[in-house]
Amino acid sequence: MKKILLTLFPIVTILLMVQGYHQAIYVAPDDAMQGYVFRIIYYHVPSASVAFFFFAISLIGSIGYLAYRRSHPHRAQISDAWALAGAEVGVVFCTVVLTTGPLWGRRAWGIWWTWDARLTTTLVLWLIYVSYLLLRRFAAGPQMQTLAAVLGIFGALDVPIVYMSNRWWRTQHPAPVFGGDQDSGMKDPTMVHALLWNMLAWFCWGMLVLFLRYQVERRHQQYAALEAQEALEANV
Amino acid sequence: MDQRNILDHQFVVAAYTVTWVIQLGYLAFLGLKWRREKTIAERKSRQPR
Repeated sequence: MKKILLTLFPIVTILLMVQGYHQAIYVAPDDAMQGYVFRIIYYHVPSASVAFFFFAISLIGSIGYLAYRRSHPHRAQISDAWALAGAEVGVVFCTVVLTTGPLWGRRAWGIWWTWDARLTTTLVLWLIYVSYLLLRRFAAGPQMQTLAAVLGIFGALDVPIVYMSNRWWRTQHPAPVFGGDQDSGMKDPTMVHALLWNMLAWFCWGMLVLFLRYQVERRHQQYAALEAQEALEANV
Repeated sequence: MDQRNILDHQFVVAAYTVTWVIQLGYLAFLGLKWRREKTIAERKSRQPR
């Protein structure tokens, strides 16, 4: 059953990707104001939503690690692996947001970048999680996982700020597509469908990559534990 | 196609290409990491304890 699922899920994801691309390029109409370049939204917005979701997974994993690190070491390691996988995949999606955004901005606003609230808070979010990954890569010792978990929790605090930034402040960045006021968002249903297809496709892709990253980390943890055990036995 | 449409098209192609380069690049990085872990495991299983 597990094997069938592992084969079926990537196939479904690829099919969703093809459908999302088809909807974005061939079905959705041009935007009345921005024209063809508006189609960047079908990769930009889903990437941002999926990045937020993975940072939330990282937050839950970090809290789990701190909660279990003394009472249930095995559960703590599992939580830590999810925290790392969520942060790393979240950074990948956030990188997509920070590269497709300026490309869109250059055509829509005539500038690559501006220090407005949405863009700046997103960059800060990316920097926090990159520092989280650097901490995990270069720090050593038993405190590393605890420090990373604390940083992961603080980093996640920026997610609601990013989400609310173009609601709290009037910014250069367009109004929110979902959950904004009556004037904001997409009016054409084919545009909404294209966006939802791409959201589903990128979500499935992200889950696939997240699961793979989690497996790699769990494997790494097992060998690290084995090595530590062997080193201990050699000293005794 | 006028000049504006050509430029719009080029920017959309650039955004989609960049997205796939980042995603597939990360997938390749994960694949390499997975292989390295597997190699370490095989080496360890061959070593006498």
